[in-house]
Amino acid sequence: MPVNDRYEIRIAGFGGQGVVTIGKILGTAFSVFAGINSVNTQSYGPESRGGACRSEVVVSQGEINYPYVRHADVLIALSQVALDTYLADLKESGILMLDPGSVQTVTDADHFRIIKVPVAALAHETGGLKFQNIVALGALHAVIADLISEDALKDAIQATVPPDTLAPNLAAFDKGKQYINHHLKR
Amino acid sequence: MSTSAHPMLKYLKTQAPTGPRLPLILCPGCGAGQVLNYTLHAVDRILEEDNWPKEHFVFISGVGCSSRLTSHYLQFDSGWTLHGRSLAIATGALLANPRLKIIVFTGDGDAAAIGGNHFIHACRRNLNMTIICINNGLYGMTGGQVAPTTELGETTPTTPHGNVEDPFDLCRLAETAGAPYVARWTTAHPRQAIKTITKGIRKNGTAFIEILSQCPVHKKTAPVELFRRLREITVSKKDTDAIAAGKIPLGEFCNLDKSDWIARYQQIIENARSPEAD
Amino acid sequence: MPISGSKHLIQPGNYYLQGAQACAEGAMLAGCRVYAGYPITPATEIMEHFARRLPQLDGRAIQMEDEIASASVLLGASWAGTKAMTATSSPGFSLMQEVISFAIMTETPLVIVDVQRPGPGQGYITTSQEDVMQARWGHHGEGSIIALSPASVQDMFDLTIEAFNLAERWRTPVLIMAEETVAHMREPLVIPPHAEITVVDRVKPQDQGIAPQDYLPYGHGEVPPMAIWGEGYNINHVSLVHYEDGTVTRYNARTHFENVSRIHQKIENHIDEITKVDARFIDDCRHLLICYGSVSRTGVEAVLEARERYGLNIGFIRLKTLWPFAEARLRALVPEVETIFVPEMNLGMMIHPITEALRDRCSNIISIPSLGCLHTPDQILARIREELT
Repeated sequence: MPVNDRYEIRIAGFGGQGVVTIGKILGTAFSVFAGINSVNTQSYGPESRGGACRSEVVVSQGEINYPYVRHADVLIALSQVALDTYLADLKESGILMLDPGSVQTVTDADHFRIIKVPVAALAHETGGLKFQNIVALGALHAVIADLISEDALKDAIQATVPPDTLAPNLAAFDKGKQYINHHLKR
Repeated sequence: MSTSAHPMLKYLKTQAPTGPRLPLILCPGCGAGQVLNYTLHAVDRILEEDNWPKEHFVFISGVGCSSRLTSHYLQFDSGWTLHGRSLAIATGALLANPRLKIIVFTGDGDAAAIGGNHFIHACRRNLNMTIICINNGLYGMTGGQVAPTTELGETTPTTPHGNVEDPFDLCRLAETAGAPYVARWTTAHPRQAIKTITKGIRKNGTAFIEILSQCPVHKKTAPVELFRRLREITVSKKDTDAIAAGKIPLGEFCNLDKSDWIARYQQIIENARSPEAD
Repeated sequence: MPISGSKHLIQPGNYYLQGAQACAEGAMLAGCRVYAGYPITPATEIMEHFARRLPQLDGRAIQMEDEIASASVLLGASWAGTKAMTATSSPGFSLMQEVISFAIMTETPLVIVDVQRPGPGQGYITTSQEDVMQARWGHHGEGSIIALSPASVQDMFDLTIEAFNLAERWRTPVLIMAEETVAHMREPLVIPPHAEITVVDRVKPQDQGIAPQDYLPYGHGEVPPMAIWGEGYNINHVSLVHYEDGTVTRYNARTHFENVSRIHQKIENHIDEITKVDARFIDDCRHLLICYGSVSRTGVEAVLEARERYGLNIGFIRLKTLWPFAEARLRALVPEVETIFVPEMNLGMMIHPITEALRDRCSNIISIPSLGCLHTPDQILARIREELT
């Protein structure tokens, strides 16, 4: 990545879906374990659950001035509202990841690369719905593996989640990664 | 020292570079001066009998006539602070230096109106301080307005047609809020007041001592008459019949053993700094 | 004074932290050992971090019953000799103004962080710069104040240490006017070797060989040495207008004027020493963008793009200190320019002292307001291009 280029990842959904956590894990993976500059931000409503929630990571080899996404390279939309709100900011060449179980309609989507991952269903197969965000993370990694290593992401997971949940978190990550590798061509 | 000098003068700053500090700014016959006298007697006794360094004593007050007692009269560290906030300020001082011996002078308005929230939480938290509340049932400094301790029906500048509110019982409030040592006397009970204040200072934890006091100026009554009234409207706490008939109980209402805030938090500090801690 | 070698202090190295955590760690390195606060979005993370960390450093953190109590705790702690801090957001900041006024008059070092959120009223819980005037004028009465404006996680660390140093040096409350943006963002933070961090402590009368009987609590110079409770100086803190020896009786207008003027001038006479301003692309610029706080992140991005992509000769100035206002420094930096843009997360506040300072250098000073969210680069660029092309 050239020095002044930015790679911008946005994750959006409802409070309680773990949106903020994967933003933090991604930022930690880049900055702490891969030595790449990143800024992680989040925004949410006052409600603990159910309100709109968004987390962002801006990555750069150089300085990062504006700390939020200008034009997303990646949008992970975990709810229909998230998709409707943030689709317009996704670059034409960007990657859109969504859970077809919770996101029904995608309009004007010819030029995006759409990756459908049933993260909720996959999460139920591992530790439970609360791991859907980590499933998404594993799936995302399979798509941006040349930017960040699996080790860096897994180290970041370990640094972020409670120690006694590490095993199911790593399993959820692998679940998402395997889904991509089996179901989608690069 | 001449034999006619007041024995507590040694604890007062009588001279300042700008001129003499005495007499106190308080009105003639005001009870606050007496409370200062009783408190200094208590401190004097403690300095003599216990081994506490004089430098550790700190007097804190808020705003009002009672709070004027710290206004640079004392040969001690002191702070003449914000209306109602002296207890929060005392809390900060103890968090910084738990060895300080903090005595707070407050009034009924300072403690129970604007300071009410801080008052109940200070009692609940049980930090090691002695709260001496000089209760004259009105706002003296500003002209005698109604206070949370003014009797029902009283006429004051802000209740010119009569007070329609019932007063607080500050001791019951302090006790309910959790203060482990609560007592009440009046300015007309000097020996008991000195003994109780001594006990309160020595008590580890929050000691709340209410001293019913006289304001001759706003009551427009001679001090001696106000003393008579103070003795008339109060009884020993043991006299339950008189209390049922409306007299105000005097004495010690509770004296509990309760671990104080600093001691409890010290356990947290020790755990956090132990070699086994994460 | 060197930083004590406690293993519990954050060690030198590279970290990835939220601004809130960086602020707390900076405070602890500066010697803060008392924290008092009240939960309020978006400042609560600061208190929670202190609650976890202070016991490790033999410090004490307490949640008080309201913001007035929290600020009041700082007075007692400071007078008892310990550095103390609280963090709040805009509604709580309003509640603290009486304590701030009192701290100015009693010349009490303390630090208050305002993680600004929109108002008025409950407003919202997102980001804002709507308290920047309140910082200067919110306390009743005269008296100047110091207010800093961080723009990054590194700033939240560095400027918090700076805030404590300024508070101790000038015996004054110091405000850190943060915003939700910078408190919640997570970025790399570099902690330098402790020996490289300057920590300033208040001057005590003992340090100047002044004995208790000769000590004037509000005398001995422009910034009076500060006696600590518990050391035998019989200091009485007072906030009525006073003489140098603390006397409040025998009032006269001349003493009043001298007392309050000294406290005011103590800050205003040292603006050059106290304030910090960053400037880029200033030489020969035709236009200028002036900003502060988190908006600086957008401002820099917009200026770089305006210059590189649209060929506009725009300079960039960031105010790191909001108050005292660095008027002389601004005038020394800024040439005659055609346009000055002032993006703020409010409807135009710092634009007023900026205009007062630079009105003869520029006749077209333009506010770019945003409420509740950080300006985007496109938003600022659009306004710039609308004006200049």
